[in-house]
Amino acid sequence: MTLPFLTPLAFLLGLLALPILVLYMLKMRRRQVEVSSVVLWQRLLRDREANAPWQRLRRNLLLILQLLLLAALVFALARPFLIVPAVARGAVIVLLDASASMSATDVAPSRFAMAQAQVRELANGLSADGLLTVILVGRQPEVLATATRDTAAVIAAVDAARPQQGTVDWEAAFALAAGAARGGTPGETTIVILSDGGLPDGLAALPGEVRYVPIGSTEPIGRENIGIDAFSLRATASGPELFVRVTNFGTQPQRVLVTITSADQLVVSELVEVEPARSASVTLDDLVDVPSNFQAQLTAAGEAGGAPDAFPLDDTAWAVYQPPAAGRTLVLTPGNVFLEQMLASLPGVQAFRAAPDAPLPTDPFDLYVSDSLTETVAPAGAELLVINPISTTLFTVGEVFTNTQLTRVAADDPLTRYLDWSQVSVLQARRVAVPDWARVLVDSEGGPLVFAGETGGRRVAVLTFRLQDSDLPLQLAFPVLMSNLLAYLAPAQAFSAPDGLLPGETLLIRPAGGDAAIAIDDPTGQRFQAPATEAGVLFADTQRLGLYTVVSTQRVVGQFAVNLFDGGESTIAPATQLTLGQSPVTATPAEETGELELWPWLAAAALLILLIEWYVYHHGSVPPRRVSGATRS
Amino acid sequence: MFSESTLRRLDRLALVAQRVRAGVFKGERRSTKRGTSIEFADYRDYVRGDDLRRIDWNAYARLERPFIKLLEEEEDLAVHVLVDASLSMGFGDGETRKLDYACKLAAAFGYLALAAGDRLSVSVLHGEEVAARFGPARNRGFALRLIRFLEDVEPAGDTRLNAALRDYALTGGRPGLTFVISDLFAPDGHVDGLAQLQGRGHEVVVVHTLAPIEVEPDFAGDVRLVDAETQDFQEVTLDGGLRDLYHTRLTDWRNEIDAYCTKRGMHYVPVVTDEPWDQLVLHQLRQRGLVK
Repeated sequence: MTLPFLTPLAFLLGLLALPILVLYMLKMRRRQVEVSSVVLWQRLLRDREANAPWQRLRRNLLLILQLLLLAALVFALARPFLIVPAVARGAVIVLLDASASMSATDVAPSRFAMAQAQVRELANGLSADGLLTVILVGRQPEVLATATRDTAAVIAAVDAARPQQGTVDWEAAFALAAGAARGGTPGETTIVILSDGGLPDGLAALPGEVRYVPIGSTEPIGRENIGIDAFSLRATASGPELFVRVTNFGTQPQRVLVTITSADQLVVSELVEVEPARSASVTLDDLVDVPSNFQAQLTAAGEAGGAPDAFPLDDTAWAVYQPPAAGRTLVLTPGNVFLEQMLASLPGVQAFRAAPDAPLPTDPFDLYVSDSLTETVAPAGAELLVINPISTTLFTVGEVFTNTQLTRVAADDPLTRYLDWSQVSVLQARRVAVPDWARVLVDSEGGPLVFAGETGGRRVAVLTFRLQDSDLPLQLAFPVLMSNLLAYLAPAQAFSAPDGLLPGETLLIRPAGGDAAIAIDDPTGQRFQAPATEAGVLFADTQRLGLYTVVSTQRVVGQFAVNLFDGGESTIAPATQLTLGQSPVTATPAEETGELELWPWLAAAALLILLIEWYVYHHGSVPPRRVSGATRS
Repeated sequence: MFSESTLRRLDRLALVAQRVRAGVFKGERRSTKRGTSIEFADYRDYVRGDDLRRIDWNAYARLERPFIKLLEEEEDLAVHVLVDASLSMGFGDGETRKLDYACKLAAAFGYLALAAGDRLSVSVLHGEEVAARFGPARNRGFALRLIRFLEDVEPAGDTRLNAALRDYALTGGRPGLTFVISDLFAPDGHVDGLAQLQGRGHEVVVVHTLAPIEVEPDFAGDVRLVDAETQDFQEVTLDGGLRDLYHTRLTDWRNEIDAYCTKRGMHYVPVVTDEPWDQLVLHQLRQRGLVK
């Protein structure tokens, strides 16, 4: 086998060995030093030469090292390379699949690690005119390297990448790849997809040549997978019910043990047998003292136990019990049929009515509705909806006005979401000076019609007119407005995720009045914090599977679970071909050849030789610091 | 050359020979011979520098001239100081120049001898013979002249130490306590000369003088060493290994001389010239019993 060189002319630099040799052959010009006598020196040199037959060789060690150094440098400049098999050459764009199924361990150590190794191989075999772009296909695709020849940077970026635990956005990744391909010369770009399949249908064709390198084992271990694809805890008429569904995504029947635990206490353990492409479920409806969360785990049937397959992400699932919570609302009204019917029909609201002159119930309520009262009866600090107000410490009410033509609806406010006020007519309303803490939701020529805000840790909303003085109760705007206001004033729950989330899904958390900040602890214990706003906190860092805990400044608000529950990811058998546009792309063996350049190794060797030469030259050539009398006899 | 305090300390010292040689002059030194009594022998004229305690004050009262009383049983000691003044002795920087150091030692030994009334000869060795000689002198009055003599000594030429010592053994006069101050870097060696001296009855003290740069060479790398005396040269590449070997060889060489001297009943005093010379005289030589 011959070693090819990219710049063989560099060998001419080998002629530099001649001057080195000539310099060594020339008599060395030594520094002259006068000494009192050379008798001792002559004697000891005779002794040394007599005792060291290798002395002559040793004396030439520097010459040998210098010739070796020159040889290493000349070889490095000649750029020798090894021909290695490669998937592609030239300008290459790599799409590195980081979906959950790439965590499968059917190939050691994992599919993603194998794909990383493929990228490293591509980078190392990059030809002299090659350019490499690497796109990590995640939920938000990320460009790890852009049209670079910097092999080390590519490898470092790829090594730092990690697979995700959910589905990924192939469309966005394809858009990135197409953009990168158009930046290069058409026809010369090769797009390499390192994936185990699972690409969605209807993806657009990519410019340039597309090659698909399937990642994963073709053995049964690379196909067989059984996983949990549903796990929930629902309130039913007869109490909470726990439901687990186990699906066989492989081609062989599977027997697994389904174990459900709560707070490390075993709840139930059941052996299930599932045919290929079939599901089996376990249902528990006699739960007593329902704990807050459950974990379901699949293990292989049999004494050995352990993971039932090579894809562990869908072998565990979590469920959190969120009992239905209703906002307890006390309506203080002399009588308002519209209001009472509306409150009774809203989900999550338990409405109670009290006469204005009757004493207040001692039990606290989540919300007090004050309708056309002549005095303030709601307890201080309670959440309050005031209809047809009177002056209080919160705001001042003026005279009645009739020019109630709509001038503005706060369009970007969550409290006016889906609210269409254009058809609403109001006969008259009371003029209210809007306090600093409140914002106007619906404004008219004569003054505000609806405003709301938060003051002193309590939330207050005000309708400045009697419902009977308007046709609002007859309009669609009424239930929309009331629903929005009640969700704001007395949110039943901070968030709603009874069935958990999928990885990457977002969750809206509505903090209670008075919460300054919301913190979310992810399954690894990492804490995410955000200031609480009335609009709520949108949490999107749900990439990890497991239980998340929501904590406000005052209390633990609750937990929610993130589970894989994705049949596409659980079907781990590597696809043999992809369909992009109308044309199929089949798996590509490594047909091309790449050039693995050896000059970095030679340069490293030259550096090492240089260090040795430096050491040999200086070792002992520097006179030691003399310590007075140290050698005196 | 000497400070006042050093002189006072030297005054309290005297050279000691293991075997005192019988002198032709009556001396101030008690004989080791037994059976003789302390008896008056003779007078001699006082010269400046003599010990005032030895003046016969009765004679002075009668004759108004100071006389020194000589006793029968006392002997004088012949003290020879031979200083190697070859070019190799010119080595050493400043205070550590070997010849200066050797001259200081010679002056100290000479002063001790003169102060004790011993018969002192100081010789400077160049080539194969004695190039300059001081003495014989017998009392402290010669101390200043001795110092002036030694101050004029300059290194020159090479020294055939064997030949020079042999020559001195024949022509140096009465045997006695003989200090040979040299670096012993002599092409023809030194052993025969020392043996000749001893054979003539001298009690030999070899003061082997080396400069610090000879103990620890201050050069390194590829050098051409040139012999200051013979102009011979030797090319060496001084690395750590060779430096270690040099140390070993130097130690062996000194040990060989020491062993030879010990075997022949000579005294061997190795000295490096960065050691204070008065410390050597006042402390080391006293330890070795050469000074009391």
